[in-house]
Amino acid sequence: MSELTNICDLMKQNTFYILAGIIGLVEVGMFWFSVRYMIPYLISAAFLVGVLILYLAWRSITDRQTDERAVLINQKAGMATFMVFWVIFFATSLGSAVIGLGAPPFPHFPRPPDQGPSRINESIKPFGDGQGLPGESIRPPDDGLIRLGHFGYLQLALLFLMFFLYVGFRIYYARKYGEWESDEEQD
Amino acid sequence: MKNRIKVFRAMHDLTQDALAQQLGVTRQTILAIEKGKYDPSLELAFKIARFFNVSIEEVFSYPGAP
Repeated sequence: MSELTNICDLMKQNTFYILAGIIGLVEVGMFWFSVRYMIPYLISAAFLVGVLILYLAWRSITDRQTDERAVLINQKAGMATFMVFWVIFFATSLGSAVIGLGAPPFPHFPRPPDQGPSRINESIKPFGDGQGLPGESIRPPDDGLIRLGHFGYLQLALLFLMFFLYVGFRIYYARKYGEWESDEEQD
Repeated sequence: MKNRIKVFRAMHDLTQDALAQQLGVTRQTILAIEKGKYDPSLELAFKIARFFNVSIEEVFSYPGAP
């Protein structure tokens, strides 16, 4: 344990970036594994563990250069990102709420036999012995969980938007507070 | 806000990097302050003045002030 602490104490900024890259690759592998074997909790847990490891590693960087100007730039970029993202997220959520309000009640309650199928896919019956035609794929039952999974795409898109917003604002405020200014001493 | 950090640096024969290390900030912060792109916090302003052994008004001045 003490050896691990010593390694962490000696971590440099570049070592941290290498570690972040390795963890990123592991996360991609975990995502593939989760999708392949349909274990949604695996990638969720792996992501949390990965972030925790990165946080502990980040705290142990010895040559991290930060001062009040860097803190100010991060604060301003974070606040601007939050404000813009909030508006976009609210607008998207309002649209989703309209879709949700216009959809049939969830979960699908069984209907009386004379009023048709209780689920959309119950009307799609395979031919003959239930195996269907050769090459025909039978769609899985629509129990809402799959549609919830599709909602994850929208969430991921919004999170990527948040990330790019932050990078954009970070660049803007860094320029504003002289991040890339140069003078005669730089040569 | 205007400042005379560059003048005081020259008087003490200090580079931006050396001053930044003494004050515990990055060289880019000293450069940004000198160029007027960033106004330092009160704490950093006092640190700078104390480092050069002068009053804060001798280093920093606000335009229009008497």
